[in-house]
Formats: sequence, structure tokens, C-alpha cells
Amino acid sequence: MNPALSELQGLFPPGRLLTRPGELAPYASDALTAFRAQPLAVVLPESHEEVVEAVRWCVRHRIPYVARGSGTSLSGGSLPVEGGLVIGLNRMNRLLRLDPKERLAVVEPGFINLQVSQAAAPYGLYYAPDPSSQPVSTIGGNLAFNSGGAHCLKYGMTSNHVLAARVVLPDGQTVVLGSESLENTGPDWLGLFVGSEGLLGIVTEITLRLLPKPEAYHTVLAAYDALEKAGQAVAAVVASGLLPGAMEIMDALAIEAAEAAVQAGYPREARALLIVELEGEAPQVEAEARYLEEVIRQSGAYEVRVAQSQEERLKIWRGRKAAFSAVGRLSPDYLVQDGVVPRSKLGQALAEIENLSARYGLRVANVFHAGDGNLHPLILYNGRVAGELERAEALAGEILQLCVRLGGSITGEHGVGMEKKAYMPSMFTPEDLEAMQRIRQALDPLELANRGKMFPGDHPPHRPPSGPHPLEKAGVIARE
Amino acid sequence: MSETQPLRPTSVAEVQEAVRAYPRLRARGGGSKPALSTPQNGQTLLEMGGLRGVVEYDPSEYVVVARAGTPLAEVAALLAQHGQYLPFDPPFLAQGATLGGTVAAGLSGPMRQRYGGVRDFILGVELVDGEGRRIRGGGKVVKNAAGFDLPKLMVGSLGRLGLLVELAFKVFPAPKATCTLEVAFPRLEEALETLYRLAGSPIELYALDLVPPATLVLRLGGLSEALPARLERLQSFLGQPGQLREGEAEVAYWQGLNDLGHLGAGALVKVALTARRIPALERVLGPAPRRYLCAGNLLYLAWEGKLEELDALLKAQGLSGLVLRGTAPQPQIGIDLAQVFARKVAAALDPQGRLA
Amino acid sequence: MQHKIDSEKLGPQGEIMAHAIEACVHCGFCLPACPTYQVLGEEMDSPRGRIFLMKEVLEGSLAPEEAQPYLDKCLGCLGCVTACPSGVPYGELIGTYRGFSEPKRHRSPFQRLFRLALQETLPYPSRFRAAARLGQFAKWMKPLLPAPLKAPLELLPERLPQSEPLPEVVPAEGPRRARVALLAGCAQQVLQPGFNRATLRVLAHNGVEVVVPRGQGCCGALALHTGERARALKLARANLQAFAGDFDAILTNAAGCGSGLKEYPLLFRGQPEEAQAKALAAKVKDVSVFLVELGLKEVPPLPKPLKVAYHDACHLAHAQGVRSEPRQLLKSIPGVALLEIPEGELCCGSAGTYNLEQPALAATLGERKARHILATGAELVVTGNIGCFTQIETHLRRLGRPLPVLHTVELLERAYFG
Repeated sequence: MNPALSELQGLFPPGRLLTRPGELAPYASDALTAFRAQPLAVVLPESHEEVVEAVRWCVRHRIPYVARGSGTSLSGGSLPVEGGLVIGLNRMNRLLRLDPKERLAVVEPGFINLQVSQAAAPYGLYYAPDPSSQPVSTIGGNLAFNSGGAHCLKYGMTSNHVLAARVVLPDGQTVVLGSESLENTGPDWLGLFVGSEGLLGIVTEITLRLLPKPEAYHTVLAAYDALEKAGQAVAAVVASGLLPGAMEIMDALAIEAAEAAVQAGYPREARALLIVELEGEAPQVEAEARYLEEVIRQSGAYEVRVAQSQEERLKIWRGRKAAFSAVGRLSPDYLVQDGVVPRSKLGQALAEIENLSARYGLRVANVFHAGDGNLHPLILYNGRVAGELERAEALAGEILQLCVRLGGSITGEHGVGMEKKAYMPSMFTPEDLEAMQRIRQALDPLELANRGKMFPGDHPPHRPPSGPHPLEKAGVIARE
Repeated sequence: MSETQPLRPTSVAEVQEAVRAYPRLRARGGGSKPALSTPQNGQTLLEMGGLRGVVEYDPSEYVVVARAGTPLAEVAALLAQHGQYLPFDPPFLAQGATLGGTVAAGLSGPMRQRYGGVRDFILGVELVDGEGRRIRGGGKVVKNAAGFDLPKLMVGSLGRLGLLVELAFKVFPAPKATCTLEVAFPRLEEALETLYRLAGSPIELYALDLVPPATLVLRLGGLSEALPARLERLQSFLGQPGQLREGEAEVAYWQGLNDLGHLGAGALVKVALTARRIPALERVLGPAPRRYLCAGNLLYLAWEGKLEELDALLKAQGLSGLVLRGTAPQPQIGIDLAQVFARKVAAALDPQGRLA
Repeated sequence: MQHKIDSEKLGPQGEIMAHAIEACVHCGFCLPACPTYQVLGEEMDSPRGRIFLMKEVLEGSLAPEEAQPYLDKCLGCLGCVTACPSGVPYGELIGTYRGFSEPKRHRSPFQRLFRLALQETLPYPSRFRAAARLGQFAKWMKPLLPAPLKAPLELLPERLPQSEPLPEVVPAEGPRRARVALLAGCAQQVLQPGFNRATLRVLAHNGVEVVVPRGQGCCGALALHTGERARALKLARANLQAFAGDFDAILTNAAGCGSGLKEYPLLFRGQPEEAQAKALAAKVKDVSVFLVELGLKEVPPLPKPLKVAYHDACHLAHAQGVRSEPRQLLKSIPGVALLEIPEGELCCGSAGTYNLEQPALAATLGERKARHILATGAELVVTGNIGCFTQIETHLRRLGRPLPVLHTVELLERAYFG
């Protein structure tokens, strides 16, 4: 064993320092299975001090590292650096303090998102950010990627619900960012840190904001015979001045997958399903529901269902929340994209995606947060058929290009990670990227933290060679 | 060294030139927060009012993009025409506050209670850093996870991490109808107890203010047909009918608070805190005019005496403050928030300290 | 998930494993559902990690010994199957993999002897009874024994119940509403003959004629789930014969057995008996499901109200999707207040012979389950499986709170007959 590893042995007991091939293999990728990288070792700290020791070890030996929660990132965020260290935070999974009066929870990074709401429930409180991975994903991971979810339009993303965080910086120093107050008297340092994808440090303690649970929900499921009608319905809801808690659309393929997975009882022949959820004080929600009913009626839905109970409401959501993973039933592999387009361009984007899908001969299931224009096209492919992965990636690239062209973003919530770093130049100028790199290097001159992620450059590890990217071929971007 | 002549750029390129040409700069928008925009120690004043105008606004997108020197009042009027508003309710509209200055100071108002403050609504930012480089962060859509969140960093950055030139905001539909209830309590403890009960309840308020010694001012908003029922429920929740304001008088009441004139002519200071700090703070603030906003998360007060006293007082309480109007060596008073992360990021954006 | 498995080289078993691995999208939804991940907190001991390890071994890029310790720790509880949105048939994968890898595996002589002992005694009631008696005799020796032998001794009850021979046919009381066959099970005949007795009485009382076919034996689940394929086939063939008659249903009152019988089509895939296996499996029902479908004769109230905690056996809930029927039965007994056990989806740690092969983990899970049960304030625990029964009873006793534990049909028996 090399001397660096023996030193690590002195810092972590055998059960929490993994080096054998059978131990390392499962950590080689996260939910983005197109990428794999073999780490040198995995450590499983159980305290802030152990995290500091691990980072300092990396600095001493100049070994890059990646922090990992439950490994559910869809953009390769917890993909190891080949030959680097994986710092798994999932054992630091305690709820340290729940203060219902002050409406906050203090948790360790490995604490599961859904568990926050579960712990807060007895007090009539909940934790708002609800990514579909919430039964599995950790708060630390949510923070690194500023995770979103279906209820973002009204109440924001993770960054809007984190009050403070204790961070181990890439040089091993510890800082506390933020405070219990919703207000700041200086720059929002914590705001910069959230969503920095692990490049600026590792959180070891997080203070989260809890909100009172809405008094009433009004959840509507509307079925359409055309995807554009659903998109237009969303525009109409917005134009009416209503601010729903959530608006989600699923297309026919996604519906098929979700039904197979959870039997939510969705209308099977629908070409599109729209879920609109109002939430708030009961009299307000009742009044809003009347406006919503009118809008939906005029939108041409052929079937409309209103949840009459909490159970029915959860059933409507169950299918939507399982949709991504459920497409595993329709196809051996899939790529999920995460583009954003201005809401008014939603219909156009969907129509173009449909054309692209036909042109590439690959099915695309669509699930999206219609309320904020955040699309999740799921490109279905079979990796065992020669060339299909490459076609899928090319299609994915065209969809992202489309989003940028329509004035949107290459990622609404999954982050850049490994997967989309090549597209950063389509959103940001070289000066913009340099500025971000400068900030990164100020904190991590050796580029140890999540090396190779987010910024273009460096070839991703262990990818089957797929030739130049379509954007490269077109001369739009260059991989350095 | 005497101050040099103020500059008044009208384009981003001119801002960049100014940064490269002058060793020390201080930006000013509407001058509504003089403690933050008055040049000191040889700083050259950079009047940002020349960079104004709404660049993009699509009500159906809930996004407005405007140059940093645009007066808030102009943006608010435009939004109002389409039934929308700035949910973070920034102060000093009539005093010519600009978007850029508001973001740089990080100021929100009472209505931040409903949906959030400046940081929760800023989507994108274009700035010129301390080396004169033009940088964009974020985007123009309500959801975006690409790159570092520079827009949030700029909130409260006091012009020291970069000079803001263009900003994109998320906006919301304005409430169709509102009403305000003022409830007086015999003692602070009871007012706070009710404040906590309200904050933890499903009652959705557009404002939850505490006016010392023990008065709560609450604002309800939403569809007009639902308001009477909600008001009645609120009154029964409080256990008393309170004093009701409605209609034009209600709107005027809140507009009247926007210039913070009700706090008098002393040094104006913002303090960030939480409600549990209020009892201790109330014991030491004496007669200083003040108002706690957003369930006790935001305090605006006016200080008659020497700011050094307030500085010491806030330090003793473990709180930080921002001087908006008044003379102080540094606008940030109270506990020292400096830390290594801040130092390094600031050095990356302004290595020579031109904007410091 | 993409893989490079050459399933042709591996035969029909290879197809089963490759298909399961393909379905996995590595999303991680299985992690919170996995008891070993909850306890051990490392990726290798999660379903997602295990699928990945099996893939690596089958592709030839990982030595089987490297993956073995983590695959051994899998309970086979199928909690992950319930949680998986992609429909990965993990049970098929782990069972087939164990059958595939067992012959190639190196085991110490002691391990082989231990496994042989289990396989040769548990499925055969008379042998098991003899061994159990010996075990009780040997209890005083426990402190002197090596750890792996302690566990079986600790799980033996204080007293072995009297053996109760089973009649060949039990006639229906009153008009006959159905005719069924009963799988009598193996270990439970020795440890809790009362389960079968209660089953026969409740069925007969409800107008059901019950046949207990001679020539039946252990369902083979134990052998199948621990990689002893040849043994499993032999036991299963005997049952295909014994249950070949004309019955409305083939009933089981042990979760593990019901799920075991339903796996016969998988076990016999590609074999001449495949059609027969499918026909048999189609008729298999847990006794609780059968009773709910049949409709219970009115149940008299219990002498006094009782707070009852129902424990879902993994092989009822996860493997067979049976959750509501036992609860419906319990709720139809007036006086029963049904309580839900926190973390009810999580295995108690019994998992077949897991509590003998992985005693430390099993004990951790058993204690966790027992504590959750105690937290409900229940006065009685009810479950539908002999393994869970033994595990829960043992761990409640160890915590000093020996609540009574009954099989679902035993509580019905009490209500009907006092």
C-alpha cells in the first residue's frame, strides 16, 4: 500500500476506509451511468473533524476528491475523479436540532431530504424543496446542486431555504456561512456557495428553514389529446394571475412508464397530462380553484380530475415523482436532460423536440416543471445497439442547443456536473467562465475539489469514444 | 486627498474604462443610501444613473430585465400596469433608489414576508469587476442552475465585489386586494408570542411587522372574494378585532412607510436578526425609532447618538448592522463578519481593491 | 444500465440476470428501503451496489470473492423491489446469482458443514425436531460454543411444543364453499404446530375443505435462496407431484413458503416441468388472501379490547404484495385496535436463515424491530410467518418485554373458538 494510503489508514478505521476492488466498484458512478471512474479509495467520515482530516490529507498529497451523498446526481456530480478520493457523507446523517418555534432544522449533510419534512410534520411544518429524488437524496447533495423540484416557482429552490452552513473549504479551513436570519448585512456568501457543485467546499452542518404546511391543497389532473394544448393551458393559468404551488406536464410515454411503475390510475390514452396544484389558506384556495376550473375548462382538456382527499392527491403525485426512474421499464437506458425555456416558448420547444425525436429515431419521454419552463426530456436508447448512445447524446445536445436558442438555460436544476460542462460556453462567454474559474481557484488553487466538473476542458473518464460533439463539429464550441 | 470629479457612464464599456482608469471608485445610484454611496478617501464617484432603462419585460414570463441605474419607481410602475410587482418590496422608491443600489445594499421591505427578499428574486446579473472585466452570471429564466450563483453573491455586496450594470428579476402577480390589521398588546412578550404563533401557522401574510413597544401590523392579500373570510379567521386567531385599514387608506399607509421617514432623521441602520433576539434588543435600544419587519428577521432603526455606541451595542448582542445613512468609518457595524471565504472571493473579483 | 455480460455463455440463468441488471437505472431509490444500507451505510451493502457488483462479476471484471461478502449480507427481503420505480426483479437476480455462483465458491469445511446441517435438517420436520431437542439439551453449552453456533441455539424456544400430526383431510363445517390444499411447511411444524392447527380450524369453520397432501415437503425456498439449486429442484419436484390435484387454491400460512411456491416458474425455467410449475404457482395463495376473498363467517368479539401491532413479513408484503388482506382480517375481529409499526417496511432480520448466517446484522435489525413494536404500546404482535415470529419473540424477550406473538390465523382462531 502506498504511504499516502497508509496515512489515511491512520485517520479512518477499516470499516470506514474502503480500498478493495469490491468496495470501490459501487462508488464508480452515480445516477448518470454513462460515466464511470475508479476512485483510489472511499472514506466514510462520521464527524466534521474527520471531514477536515480527509480534506487535509488530499491537500497534503495533492489528491483530488469528490464528496458524495446518496449518489443520485443526474449530471455526474458525485462521479469520482479517477484515482481520487471519494468522501461519502451518508453516515453523517443525524438531525442535530429541530426548533419548531424558530422554524428551523439543523442537520448533518447525509440527512435525507424527505426526512426533514417527516421530522417537521408533527409541528405543522415542512421543508419545501422537493426534488423527485427526495426519499433518497441528501441535504448535502441538495445544497451542492441547489436542487429544485416541482414546487419551485412559488417558493424557490434549495438556496432559498438554507439559512446557514458550516463548510470545510478545499484547503481544510472551516467557515460558517450565513446565519439564522433571513436577512444579511453584507454579501450573500452562502448564496454563492449553494449550487457550487462541490467545487468550493464540503458542508458538514446545515441550518434549514421550515415553512408552515399549507392549510389546503387543490390538486387538479387534466388530460389532453395534444401536448401543445397542455402547454397552452399553463400559459393561460399564468396569464390569469394565479400562482400555483406546482404545475407539471407529462407526455404519453412518461404516462405509460409511470402507470407501469406505480399504477397511479392516470387516464391511459392521454397524450399529455397537466397537474396543477394550488395551495394556501382554505378560503383563498377555494376562490382560486374557481378561476382555475374556468381556465382548465377553456383549455380543451378532455378529462379533469380533482383530488378529493390527501390520498388522492398523493396518488396523483406518485406517478409524476416516479416518472424518471420508471422509464427504465420502457428502455434499457436513458439520458435525462434538464433544459429551461421561457414559458411562452414551451409549446414551440415541445414541438421541436418531437421533430428531433422523429429525425433521430429515438423515443423521447417528456416530464417537466411547466410552471418554470424546466424541461426534462428523457431520451430512451439501448446502449447495446451500436451507435445508439452516440445518437442519443447528439439528440441531447440538439435539445440543449434549442433551449439556449429560445432564450433559456442548459440546466434548470440538475446542475452542470460532468454531463453538461461542454455546453457551458453556449451560455457563458469566456470572460464569464474565467471569472468563475478565478473564484474557484482562489479557494482551491490545486483544483482538488471535484476536479474536472462544471468547467469545460479535460475529457470525461472512461467514456466510450464517441467522436466530436455536434456542437464541436459545427465549430460552436471547442474542447480546448 | 480631495475627491475627484464624478463620472457618469452611459454604457457598460464606459464603466469598464472608468474602473481601469481610476484606482478607487464608489458607485452611486439614486443616493438614497448615502452611507453606502458617498465617496471617501479619494474614491472617484461613479454615477450609475446613466445606465437606465428596462431591457426586457414579458409579464407572462414573470421576468423583468433592466439596467442597474433604472429607478425602482419606474420598474414598479411598469409592473403595476400588468398587475405585477416586486415581491421583495424595496424601500426608497420616491427617493430615487435604483435597482442596482437596492441589490448592492440588499434592501427589502415589509412585504418580503410573503415570498422572500431581494436574494430570492434575483435571477441574473451583469457586472464589471475590480479589473474592469465584464461578467454575466445567472440568466433570464426563473430556473437556472448553470454556473456559480453570482446574482445571489451580488445581493448586499455594497458595490465592492463588482459594479452592477444589468439585472434580471423574477416578479410575481400583485395581490388583487389587501387589508391591514393593527393589533396592540399590553406587553412585548404577548406581542411576540402572537408573532410566533402567526409565523408558524398556515395564515399567509404579506406583512408581519412589530412596532415597539408591542403592536403588530399584519397585511393580508389575495382574491377579494376570499379576503373577508380570511380577515375574520385572522381576527379570531388573534382573539381581538384589531384596527382595520382598507381601500386607498390602506395602500397609502404602506406607501407612507416606504421612505422609512417614520423613523425620523437620525442615522438609518438595517439590522439582520431573528425574533428571539428582540427581547434583549428592546431592553437596550431605548427611544430609537424602529420597526421590526418580516416576523422579526429585519430591523430598520434610526440612531440619534454616536454610531460607535450602536456598534458596541450590536456587538454585545451578537448582531450585525448596515448603516444606510449616517457617518461611520465603515457601513458594516456590529459583529465582524469577515472570514476566509469572503476574503478569497473578494480578492478574486477585485484583486486590487478598487471597489473596496 | 449498460452491461457487457455475455449471457449466452451463461445459459438461461444468464438471461435472467442480464435482464434484471439492464432494468436498473442506478437511481438509488432502493437505498432507503434496504435494511443493510440503513445499518451499514455503505454503497456495497445496498441493492444498487449489489446489482453493480453482480454485473461486474458477470462481466468478468471483478473477482467473485470480492463481491461475495456484500452479496452474502443481502437479506433477500425484497424491500428494494417495492421501492424500485424501474421494476428491477432483484429477487430473481440475487436468487439466480447465488445458484450460479455457489458451485464455484470456496467455503471453509466448517461453513460447508454448517450449511449442510441446515439444509439437511430444517426442511425435514422429524430431523429438525430431533436436532432441536439436542439443541435444547446443549443450551447450557452455549458460552463454550463458537459464535456461529450460538445463534441457532438462541433462537430455539424454551420448550418445544408437542408435535401435532396433521390429518389428511379436514372436512368443511356446514355447506362446502371451497376445497383447498395446504402446504404444511417445515420448520413451523416443529416450532409452532399451532399455526397449522389454527389454519385448519379457521378454514373448516368457514366452510372450506382442506386437504393436506401426503408426499409434500419443504417448498425449497431455503435451498433456492441460498444457492442450493439442485436441492431446490428436488424438493420442488416432490411438491409438483403432491399438489397436482384439483383444488380451488393451494394455501400457505408462511410468507416464505408462499413466495417460494410462486417462484417455481422461475426455478423451472427451461425445464420440462415449466408448464406444471406455472400451473401450480397460479393457484398459490396466502391463507389471509384466500379468507378475504372467500369472505369470513362473522367473527365474535374478543373477550376484551386488544391493541394489536401487525408486522408485515417481507415475503408477504414485498415478495407477494400482500399487505391489506391480513389487516382486513384483523380489523374484522371486533375489539381489535390495529397499530402500525414504525419502519414497517423494514425487515425484522429473520430472512430465512439469515439470522443464523449473519447473526450480528440480524440481531441489530431484530432489536430495531422489537423497539419499534414496543413503541406502539401494543399488547399483542401478529404476523404471518414463522421466521418473523421467532425473531420478534426472541428480541422482545431479550429486551425484557416478552409480548405475546401470534400468527394472524391464531388470533382468528381465538376469536372464533376462545
